[in-house]
Amino acid sequence: MQEPGLKMFLYFSQLKGRPIIDSDGRLRGKMADLKVRLGDLFPKMTSLVVKRRWKKKLLELDWTEVESLNGNKITLREGAEERFHSLEVDTDELLLKEELLDKQVVDTFGAKIERVNDIHLLVVNKDLHIVHVDFGIRGIIRRLGWIKAADFLTNLFFSTRFPEKLISWKYVQPLANDLRNKDLKLNVTVRSLHDLHPSELADIIEELDRANRSRLFKSLDVETAAETLGAVDPKLQASLIDASTAEQVSDILDEMAPDEATDLLADLPEEQKQTLIRTMEKPSREAVEELLKFKEGTAGSLMTKDFLSIEKNRTIGEAIEEFRKITYPLDSVSYIYVTDQENRLVGVSTLRHLITCEKDTPLAKLMNTHLIKIEPDDKVKDVVKLFQKYKFMALPVVDRDNLLRGIITLKDIIETALEE
Amino acid sequence: MNIAQRIKESPKLRTFLLFLAILGPGIVTGSVDNDAGGITTYSVAGAIYGYKLLWTLIPSFLLLVVVQEMNARMGIVTGKGLADLIRENFGVKVTFIIFVGLVLADIGNTATEFAGVAGSLNVFGVSKYISVPLVAVGVWILVTKGDYKTAERIFLFFSFCLLSYIISAVLAKPDWHEVGKAFLKPQMHFDGQYISMVLGIVGTTIAPWMQFYMQSAVIEKRIKLKDYKFALWDVIVGCTATVVVAFFIMVACAATLHKNGLTINEAKDAAVALKPFAGAFASQLFAFGLFIASVFSATILPLATAFYVCEAFGFEAGINKKIGEAPQFYALFGFIMSVAVVIILIPGAPLITITIWSQVINAMLLPVVLYSMIRMVNKKKIMGDRVNNRFQNIVGWAGAVILMALTAILLISQVVSSLKK
Repeated sequence: MQEPGLKMFLYFSQLKGRPIIDSDGRLRGKMADLKVRLGDLFPKMTSLVVKRRWKKKLLELDWTEVESLNGNKITLREGAEERFHSLEVDTDELLLKEELLDKQVVDTFGAKIERVNDIHLLVVNKDLHIVHVDFGIRGIIRRLGWIKAADFLTNLFFSTRFPEKLISWKYVQPLANDLRNKDLKLNVTVRSLHDLHPSELADIIEELDRANRSRLFKSLDVETAAETLGAVDPKLQASLIDASTAEQVSDILDEMAPDEATDLLADLPEEQKQTLIRTMEKPSREAVEELLKFKEGTAGSLMTKDFLSIEKNRTIGEAIEEFRKITYPLDSVSYIYVTDQENRLVGVSTLRHLITCEKDTPLAKLMNTHLIKIEPDDKVKDVVKLFQKYKFMALPVVDRDNLLRGIITLKDIIETALEE
Repeated sequence: MNIAQRIKESPKLRTFLLFLAILGPGIVTGSVDNDAGGITTYSVAGAIYGYKLLWTLIPSFLLLVVVQEMNARMGIVTGKGLADLIRENFGVKVTFIIFVGLVLADIGNTATEFAGVAGSLNVFGVSKYISVPLVAVGVWILVTKGDYKTAERIFLFFSFCLLSYIISAVLAKPDWHEVGKAFLKPQMHFDGQYISMVLGIVGTTIAPWMQFYMQSAVIEKRIKLKDYKFALWDVIVGCTATVVVAFFIMVACAATLHKNGLTINEAKDAAVALKPFAGAFASQLFAFGLFIASVFSATILPLATAFYVCEAFGFEAGINKKIGEAPQFYALFGFIMSVAVVIILIPGAPLITITIWSQVINAMLLPVVLYSMIRMVNKKKIMGDRVNNRFQNIVGWAGAVILMALTAILLISQVVSSLKK
């Protein structure tokens, strides 16, 4: 098309509707769409989609049949018109106009949903690659055909132009807009959905329509799904669970921190709650069942069982070893709770102790014995007052026999306090 | 068992509460429907034509239910707003044209609401040059700094005032036989004024902006597919309420104004319709009701319009966002309100005429929105199994075609009559 090695940028809006001319100069149809195969970082077009006049059905032509994009038309190679065939789209192929243009996508760079106004393409030799997506107002103006006039006017009056807002294709995850599609067509993105922070994912999920919400959630791995589900608005949690298979849900529940799993389950209808609990694995099931016993609004309902406790005669070195063994995310790493042989709480040690003191010092020597404790039935608002007063990162929850049952972290208290 | 558990266990109680919880979009939209434009148009129709325009309420009701049901269904199935759907399926150019039309129509509609504010406070002797700017500023403050949700609830509560029309209509002792006959027997007169009244009635009952509003309300409630039946009942109840109120406004005005040869030149003239019910307090009651309805809609209309335009073009929008976070949204909201206020403040502006014509513009825009809705609601790609059935398509298409035909006739007759001069 161009001289070999020459690169040229094009916008999809410039190509849309272009006449398709065969090697004899005859009009064969208009450019309706472009098909791309996902997988590369900047995938190239595999097919040209053609709309013939008066015919509703779209045909496709291999991109290799395209001779040139010069002169505001698309010229085909000799005999290419014989090789039109019916349009088919595989699960790893994407139609630019039908599935991308004007649709919402996930911008994994900005961690938000954006709408595609135009698509930025690059011509390299005879190949057409997708390089950027245009989210900005320039895209809209260009689609209206007013870009030259707009630039002229803004330059004349304000010595400026409307800014570009192009995001690289490697940060774009397309969403589906055909209700019959069950899954997302995953793009190889540099920053993938999994790298987003769970609360960013939760925000994105809350903004999406129901179908895309489930599709996006289904595409996440178990760990990310578990963290995201915990961060999502409770009203949506139920609908996400309904959209997943029983197996997926039980895997996620096992992966979630017990207190978050408990919050989730507590809001579900009784029957569904019991069914889901039965599918959980023993350790997580027991933790959840214990937490479910506590009434809402009490310390017990907020506490987590993810904490580190150690017997008082053990040493700093052994405490560090225990720490290393923990594989699940610990909400509170600031404190190590020290117990006696019967698991009764006797003192608390800090991270600072672990780092600064001699490895063979027994914890009993270092621990702080003046403890502020909570009981499971204490009201949440009293707990909030304690946090405000003492400004701890976490507070231990003990029962009447002084047995350590769980801890309440600052993170949980902030969420609760903000809700009120 | 505490209350929450008792509710979870009893299916009947759950059904009722579910209905109440979902009860919303249709009823709210139905209330908003009877705004200054509605009250004025129905009043004028009754005053000028007596019972002769009552028949228009039946096809209007039919079209209204079909259209609102489509919106509710689209909202439930896709979870996307009407503006989003139009953008996704018709592209930038078509969306732009539709929204230019919508913004123009809504500037007219907002002007109508401020006309209502001016007219109602005029009853108490307040000049429009004071009432309109004050209310406009008040609305701006309410939206940017106040608690909109509570205000919405207060307004909705007071929309019960409209029931006074029902009582008044009955007390005016119209000839119900005559009313029934006129209601059931369509009559078409091909003169400009009659046709514009017909279009006005349709336009105020089925205003395009309400389609967008209804769908948004459905989405906000996150109504699930399995609860569709409740949403359908909600729509039917809302539409019925709208048309019932319209019916009684027309009958009340016909039985009081038309019978005595009175016309409506400004809003306070329409208060006569409430005399059978409120006697000497008719004016005050009318003014109060009109004021509440007008302020309510004057708040919602420009907000909703700005919101849908931003939604369609990807700008940030929402009253929960600060002005700096959503500049285009607030700018558009301010723009629509300002132009509307300016129109009303023009000395000698014929407020009633402006009101009727803004509703006619609604009816002219409706076929365009209706067309795009019907196209989308029939696509399996968008609606899955829940595409239109034949009846809905017939009513929808017929509505669009008839409205376009009436619009054409009206415009031709306007051209012809102005050429004659």
